[in-house]
Amino acid sequence: MKRPAPLLAVALLILPFALISYRILGLKYPIFPAAPEKAWQLSMDAYVKGGEKETTVMIGVPYTHEGRIVAEERIFSGRFSFNLLRDGPNQVGVWSGTISRMGELIGYKATVKVQPQYFLKTKPPVLGPYPKEIGEAEKKLARRLVEKWDPLPPAERLRRIAEAVKGIWGIPPPDDQNLQAWSTFRDKHGRVTVFLVLLRAAALPARAVEGLELVESITTPTLIWIQVWTGEEWENLQPERGEIYQKPASLLPLVTGGYPVVRTLQGEVSEIRWSLNQQVITQWRMHFERIMRSDRWLDRWSLFRLPEEFQTTFRILMLVPIGALMICLLRNIVGFPTFGIFLPVLMALAFRNTGLAYGLGIFWGVVLIGYVIRRWIDKLRLLLVPRLSVILTLVIICITGFALIGNKLDLREFMAVGLLPFVILTMTIERFFVIMEEAGVREGLWMAAGSAGVAVITYKILQFESLQLTFFVYPELLLAVAAVQVLVGRYTGYRLLELFRFRRFRKS
Amino acid sequence: MTILQTIRRLREIGVLGMNRRNAEYIMRFNPRSSFPLVDDKLKTKQLAEAHQIPTPRLYHVIEHHGDIPILEKVLCDYRDFVLKPARGTGGGGIVLVKGHTEEGFVKQNGEVILMKDLTYHISDILSGIYSLEGLEDKAFIEGLVHPNTVFDAVTYCGVPDIRIIAYRGVPAMSMVRLPTQASDGKANLHCGAIGVGIDMAEGTTLAGVHRSGVVTHHPDTHKPVKGIRVPHWERLLLIAARAVDMTGLHYLGVDLVIDQEQGPLLLELNARPGLQIQIANQAGLLNRLELIDKAPPEIFATPERRVAWVLDTFSARTPV
Repeated sequence: MKRPAPLLAVALLILPFALISYRILGLKYPIFPAAPEKAWQLSMDAYVKGGEKETTVMIGVPYTHEGRIVAEERIFSGRFSFNLLRDGPNQVGVWSGTISRMGELIGYKATVKVQPQYFLKTKPPVLGPYPKEIGEAEKKLARRLVEKWDPLPPAERLRRIAEAVKGIWGIPPPDDQNLQAWSTFRDKHGRVTVFLVLLRAAALPARAVEGLELVESITTPTLIWIQVWTGEEWENLQPERGEIYQKPASLLPLVTGGYPVVRTLQGEVSEIRWSLNQQVITQWRMHFERIMRSDRWLDRWSLFRLPEEFQTTFRILMLVPIGALMICLLRNIVGFPTFGIFLPVLMALAFRNTGLAYGLGIFWGVVLIGYVIRRWIDKLRLLLVPRLSVILTLVIICITGFALIGNKLDLREFMAVGLLPFVILTMTIERFFVIMEEAGVREGLWMAAGSAGVAVITYKILQFESLQLTFFVYPELLLAVAAVQVLVGRYTGYRLLELFRFRRFRKS
Repeated sequence: MTILQTIRRLREIGVLGMNRRNAEYIMRFNPRSSFPLVDDKLKTKQLAEAHQIPTPRLYHVIEHHGDIPILEKVLCDYRDFVLKPARGTGGGGIVLVKGHTEEGFVKQNGEVILMKDLTYHISDILSGIYSLEGLEDKAFIEGLVHPNTVFDAVTYCGVPDIRIIAYRGVPAMSMVRLPTQASDGKANLHCGAIGVGIDMAEGTTLAGVHRSGVVTHHPDTHKPVKGIRVPHWERLLLIAARAVDMTGLHYLGVDLVIDQEQGPLLLELNARPGLQIQIANQAGLLNRLELIDKAPPEIFATPERRVAWVLDTFSARTPV
């Protein structure tokens, strides 16, 4: 390999790129995990009564599939036991137990995010049987009514049927005998069944769905509509008005296949209230929930699986390499001087607890006090290790002093100084002194300012919450950071400050 | 002038930047294992002696705090001497003694230093105060250089030294460093000494650089720095060329002094020589390094041939 460094960088870039692509495309991770998004807060409260007896209440609840993400589910079950069961295409919350004399309150809450349409990858459904209650004569009637539309494409057939149920049959209309039979049939079964029969007769797979309309609302009755497969996707048909919902339909299906949303064995659900609120959340919260429950290998190895108290640490740790990268850039590309290599990163970490202004103030305070005393100590001719120990002790005394003053003034920021990297501060004081002595005050101050500047920039990056979240969701981005670090390591061009240093050069 | 224009101009002049120096030259041509040879001045000295390269005479080495008490007796024998930390950097910890008085020693700048203070100082050196890594160090005492008078007019109290950058054994660029009042007699550019470029072919001085500006006259003596013919020029180049063979470091800063009696002496070597030398010469180092890379392979056989090639090829007046 002639150019191993750029090749390594490319490899380091490809790996996270591939992983992230897979996560986004394959596992449906968000592209911008920190981007705010609208989601629906669904909640259900119901009151179960019916005397002191065993009961089971089954209520259809939403679950995560391609079209939506359900997260942060909370169950309120009172004295009942609760189970979530899959029942064909539905998910059912099952509350069971003995009802007390006062009745029982049960509840369900969840955050529901409806995914954009393009995520829908539904398999074409098979054409099901006619509804059970329909007799042979009625099936024949339905066939007679719709057979003239057979050559039309499915979407058009659906439109014609929707019109027909409203009474608009088009040209030529069915004969009187059929029309007569039709109105009897319609009055007998009700709109939903009638639609299902006609759609079945027209060979269009269809199903009744019960759910809620996605609007800010508190309602008791649920909504029933019909989903019709038109070859490509499900159309939603409003049975009462015979209208097809505009896409994307703002509907939240709870139960499909003709079951009611609420079913009870003994007892009675006397009051049920569904409420929907729109709220803004960040995507990562949705994913947090989803990843927590996912069985996928990558999800099981996600940082979200760490106990909460360690997660905060890692959210910060993930960004420390970016801080180091900043130092690479500032030193090797700009040519900015800093004390030590990683002092600014450690300072930035400490600033998180003290706040920027206080942190910088304390940093300068400690370094200046340290410098003055170091100058004085120089006269004592202390040997290196004991001398550094004296400075370390001094730093600790300063920090303690700051903490005590902070306590008196009730300034938490001052009390957080204990987290300043005291060993590094000690070395900084020593280096600061040596540079002030050897290279002059200007050089020393310039370097101190450089260090503080880099620390501030690094701090700003560490505090950048969107970045924290992005790295937390996609830790493989660290490899990309390493790639840039490798590239900076092979940057052999001029540093910006060198342009200034050699500015007087002329072509001779 | 835009940044891009500046970059293009510096490239044309062939100015070597820090990043390129580190990545393309130091990392490629200077094996880590050889660094200790130049980081420790005592080792360099021993190595030079083994290769018959002259250095200031070594009088005495102090390795342990226990060696200090006998020092007074040792020092009595020498009229003048220099005390140095073996691993010192940037001239730190060096004491030049030019004579005795009844109380103690007379330093270069005329101050008197008591034996008590000198032993304290040595004790500091041994505990590593002047070595950058803070490691335990050795102190040594060597003969004081009596510099050749050629630079007297442009030297303020101290010993001027000559820095030659040798690449693959070929001297590529050089300058003489003249102490000033600001540098306190030290020949260290950071401390305020002036660096004056030297024409490689002629061995005569060019304009100088003080701090970051170009100067034509010494700031203290007000004498012109230009046009001084450096004595023993060929021998200086030869030492620089041989220092590379001796250490195995192929991008090397060679610091020399010219003693009035002994002629050129090797003072120390530097595996990471600075880039300031380019300003002193008003010339880019990169062009010269590239030219050396294109030199006929047979010249690399011996130091003499390399020096001959330099005298033949390089000249700051006709930049390459």
